[in-house]
Amino acid sequence: MAERRSDAAASPPRGGGVLAGGALALLAYALLYASPYGLRVLTVAGVYALAAFGFQIVFGLGGALSLAQGAFFGVGAYVTGILGSRYGLGFEATFPLSLLAPLLLALPVGLAVLRLASHYFALATLGIAQVLHLLAVNLPDLTGGANGLAGVPGVVLFGHAVARGLPMAVLVWGLVALGGLVGWLLARGRFGRSLTALRDDPLAAGTLGLDVGRLRLAAFAASALFGGAAGALAVHTQRVVSPEVLEFPVMVSILTIAIVGGRGRMAGAMLGAVLLLHLPEWFRFLERGYLVVYGGALLLTVLVAPDGLTGLIDRAAGRLWGRRPHRLPAASAPPRFPAGGLAVEGLGKSFGGVHAVDGVSLELTPGTITGLIGPNGSGKSTVINLLSGLERPDAGHVVLAGRAVTGARADRLARAGLARSFQAAALPEGAGVLEAVAAARLAFDADARQAEAHARWALDRLGVGDLAAQSCDGLPAALRRRVELARAVVRRPAVLLLDEPAAGLTDGEKAELSTLLRGLTGEGTAILLVEHDMGFLLPLAGRVLCLDRGRVIYDGPAAGVRQDGAVAAAYLGTAVPA
Amino acid sequence: MAALQLLLNGVALGAAYALVALGFVLVLNATSAVNFAQGDLVMAGGLLAVALAPLIPLPDALPGIVLLPLVLVLMAGLGLLLALAAYLPLRRRPPVSVFISTIAVGIILQNGAAILFGPEPRAAPPLIGDGTLRLGGLAVPEQSLAIVAVAALLIGAQQWLFARTQLGRRLRATAQDPEMARACGVPVTAMILVTFAIAAACAGAAGLLLANRYFVTPTAGGDLILKAYIAVTVGGWGSVPGAVVGALLIALFEVGVSSILSYPAALGALYLTLLAILVLRPQGLFGEAVRRRG
Repeated sequence: MAERRSDAAASPPRGGGVLAGGALALLAYALLYASPYGLRVLTVAGVYALAAFGFQIVFGLGGALSLAQGAFFGVGAYVTGILGSRYGLGFEATFPLSLLAPLLLALPVGLAVLRLASHYFALATLGIAQVLHLLAVNLPDLTGGANGLAGVPGVVLFGHAVARGLPMAVLVWGLVALGGLVGWLLARGRFGRSLTALRDDPLAAGTLGLDVGRLRLAAFAASALFGGAAGALAVHTQRVVSPEVLEFPVMVSILTIAIVGGRGRMAGAMLGAVLLLHLPEWFRFLERGYLVVYGGALLLTVLVAPDGLTGLIDRAAGRLWGRRPHRLPAASAPPRFPAGGLAVEGLGKSFGGVHAVDGVSLELTPGTITGLIGPNGSGKSTVINLLSGLERPDAGHVVLAGRAVTGARADRLARAGLARSFQAAALPEGAGVLEAVAAARLAFDADARQAEAHARWALDRLGVGDLAAQSCDGLPAALRRRVELARAVVRRPAVLLLDEPAAGLTDGEKAELSTLLRGLTGEGTAILLVEHDMGFLLPLAGRVLCLDRGRVIYDGPAAGVRQDGAVAAAYLGTAVPA
Repeated sequence: MAALQLLLNGVALGAAYALVALGFVLVLNATSAVNFAQGDLVMAGGLLAVALAPLIPLPDALPGIVLLPLVLVLMAGLGLLLALAAYLPLRRRPPVSVFISTIAVGIILQNGAAILFGPEPRAAPPLIGDGTLRLGGLAVPEQSLAIVAVAALLIGAQQWLFARTQLGRRLRATAQDPEMARACGVPVTAMILVTFAIAAACAGAAGLLLANRYFVTPTAGGDLILKAYIAVTVGGWGSVPGAVVGALLIALFEVGVSSILSYPAALGALYLTLLAILVLRPQGLFGEAVRRRG
């Protein structure tokens, strides 16, 4: 499965033709053959496609399982229903307000839970739906209570009524086309790619400079807008609004449409909506039990086709007609961060009473390599995690390029010119190599294309330019490390923290790595190098620090390390000479 | 006196919620996956009791407690099915896949129940009897006492199983670190199946307990999963005693606020409190027990 996924990621899919053909067939059906009832089903399918676009953005791309999409749909529906039936407002007033109300709901809830783990997001969004449903039933003066409000007018746009049937279908599907285009552009661009990066690994995304909370909030807000628009159109189609629009089946339908159609794909949302809204028609004998079929379809898709129907179509088309070659942009050098060092004073961190890092001070000067050594568990990785913002220090001061950044989040540090590599290369599963490296530029470049051009430059510089069109999955360990390193180098950071970059490399590869690191210092980068291999580290490093149980036990020239008694004792476990 | 009465109602409700939350947290610990169908399993347990009650040829006053073992066994079977269909095939995929597959199972259960039973609220028979005991000036429904007793018994039995038996040690080892447990020869897959069975049995028992005083409808699961979820969040994600305490707390909160205002106000206030807890103490009131697994 992983193998096939990786193909799809490395070169663009080819199912577009099949999908476009399907869309044309649908259009011909709508214009020529559809009965009024058929048109109504199609219109409702369009409404759900619109709602599912939003869900594709927040969940499909961003990975945040929002269970509020149904609630946003319901809020949009109630705003249009109440304003239209009670106050007789026209579409030009009710529609924007139906988008605004879910947005105003999404922002405070989103702000509260966005930085938390994803299961809390699901919980908080589920809560919105339950509370709103209770409100709708229990505020009869406003909402009409359990019976809802009848007599919602159709769409009246600047005095012109849009009739039921074909005109309404055209309006809805026109908005679907517009929404789908917006969603597609967002998904392809910097925003969509940033969301995917944080879906695949939120921690790594932060160290790449992406503001996880802000991106998720933006995605959640976008989903609210789409949900509200869909709800408004649903009410204009049904001409009634009742608590049903806030019940779980709406959410279930949207979720099923998105997953069955293909997670993260706007085309998937449309395909899923048309298919699933017609399912109840084909399974008439089930009456309201069609939701059982939805449940079954959802389960089956998750189990056997996690990329959904559009994924299956892509795969089949790829097999029939082969794959389009990936058009790679020409390499171009990204701009360099202005040189600046890192000064650390008295850094400390405890985990449940254990001092993992205790009063560590160090200074990284532009154009030099500082070595950080110590036995396993001495706190080296914790130091890197503290300096890169993945952990918050309990004590100490950190100054990056002259600015105090103590306790700053990973993404702020990254945008201030600090980059790090991970010991176990944290490459996203199923992504292409170029895409993975370009992800490290998304927070800095104007668009995804420019990020890819810069990524090519970094891959060339690491001598793996020919990997650009390949997938990250299945790369041998040594190449994975280079790609991981390219993700740091492509940023051309002022300060670079490297966690055992030479582990597992051959002597030849180590020599190449040395040359690369010397080249980087030649450009003014300040490097902190955590390493076990003294033969590799000592010739490179000017200064070396040795940690033992969280404390600095040696801080001096690289040449003196081998003779130092305390260092030898820490590694060999003998008593420290007084 | 009124306060005591409310306290008793709250504890009875909380005891049932505790069973729901317990099942949720057991699966969470064993698989690091969220079982979204837990609420619908409660509903299934309640409706199962409703369906089985007429089949028991006993005087009306007794069937609840007689049904309990039957509901536990059948629900354990349903738990196994859930694990086989919605968890085991997805164990190597990201946790969100299991989230969605259990939502799918929940949809099937909920709407299957709606087809079989219709949307009307149903009541299961009381556990022991319908009467009210007079203790001092306090009117104590027998059912409330029975709920507390049965829930305490089940939770106690489970504690004993986990703390004192070989099976319990294996279950705990699986929950703590599945890879390590496997390396030590623990049959991890079997342990996960047992965990799902216990979780579903807990849900079924809760369904039977709740379905007498609070009725059961096919859509009741959504509300219950939200409560279980909140209980586990309040109690500290992954903490077993925390889940029980969290369930008691939210039940008392719900009963207390409902008596002064209304149930919708109580749910709204509960939700706002939850948001406040997430903002101020995301690790829960008593600290988070599960850390990110590599």
